[in-house]
Amino acid sequence: MLTNAPTLETERLILRSPVTGDAEAVIAFLMDEGRAKGFGYCSTRSDAWRWFALSVGHWHIHGYGYFTVVDKATEMPVGMVGIWNPEGWPEPELGWVVFDGAEGKGIAYEAAQRALQWAYDDLGFTTMTSQIVPTNTRSIALAERMGAHHESTYDNVHMGEEMLFRHLGAKAFKAGAVA
Amino acid sequence: MSAITFSIPTLETERLIMRAFCEDDIAFEKAFLASEDSRFVGGPMPPHRAWRSIAMVTGHWALRGFGLWALEDKETGQYVGRVGLWYPDGWIEREIGWTLMPHAWGKGLATEAAMASRAHAYDVLGWDTAISCIAPENTASKAVARRLGATFEKHYEEPEYGTTEIWRHPAPDALINGGMEAYA
Repeated sequence: MLTNAPTLETERLILRSPVTGDAEAVIAFLMDEGRAKGFGYCSTRSDAWRWFALSVGHWHIHGYGYFTVVDKATEMPVGMVGIWNPEGWPEPELGWVVFDGAEGKGIAYEAAQRALQWAYDDLGFTTMTSQIVPTNTRSIALAERMGAHHESTYDNVHMGEEMLFRHLGAKAFKAGAVA
Repeated sequence: MSAITFSIPTLETERLIMRAFCEDDIAFEKAFLASEDSRFVGGPMPPHRAWRSIAMVTGHWALRGFGLWALEDKETGQYVGRVGLWYPDGWIEREIGWTLMPHAWGKGLATEAAMASRAHAYDVLGWDTAISCIAPENTASKAVARRLGATFEKHYEEPEYGTTEIWRHPAPDALINGGMEAYA
């Protein structure tokens, strides 16, 4: 294992540590401009590899980061989800991406709900954001479906203009999960 | 929790501890990389990019099994730079690299740490050769390469850094005691 990430499970998915074998799937995603422009598009392979390496380093610095999301049925990586807080971010955020061919199945929603539960139950966060570029309507729809609301808009050091969504707090999220 | 199966070995030289990065080191790197002093190593750059660089250094260890050590001055405990073994995706060849904070320049610390890095590469990892990539105007770094017994080999157009000089280190069998005797 490259990190000390736990392995989490949902009905259809495994959320686990990134492993060396995930590199090609992550690089392919990051170099796909249409898919990655709201996340951090990389125009070169070396930049994309470096992002993968820094995402591993992020786990070591913070003790949390991006999981690789694996489809239980196919055992293939289908996306990434996790808590992200590099230098310059106003607050930690819950982030999610789905790789090519895995959209439209509710994977991001299922993975994001599990990662948020982990942030509240295991990491001890009491509040959580998602920071989304205004053109990323699919991610905005997912944040709203999770019960998050648009709180502010700010200039992100890395991404430019971003909308900050505030998720249900730990108590409200847990109450919702029980209900 | 699953066990982490990679570890960063700690090395010791006469004046330095070579160890994994800790959070306090990042503050030194952010200040250094924001200054003109970092012009030969990809700077100057804003703090959010410096943080990503150092996070990437740790990820490089995990992915490659080797990487850059954070250098700590034994006497003062202060962070003085990063030296070690470098091979991100797309890099021309496996490299021995050194970057010292300005307050540690001129004391031979880069040479000391690079020699220990090279011994680790040759004796522990089994490398049979190594290069160092140096910006053509970086005369201080070229002096370190010469002290290590490396020789200029060629110019190379690095896609990100531009024109770079490739310096070739002596092969393992050309070194006695890690080169300390031959090149001291």
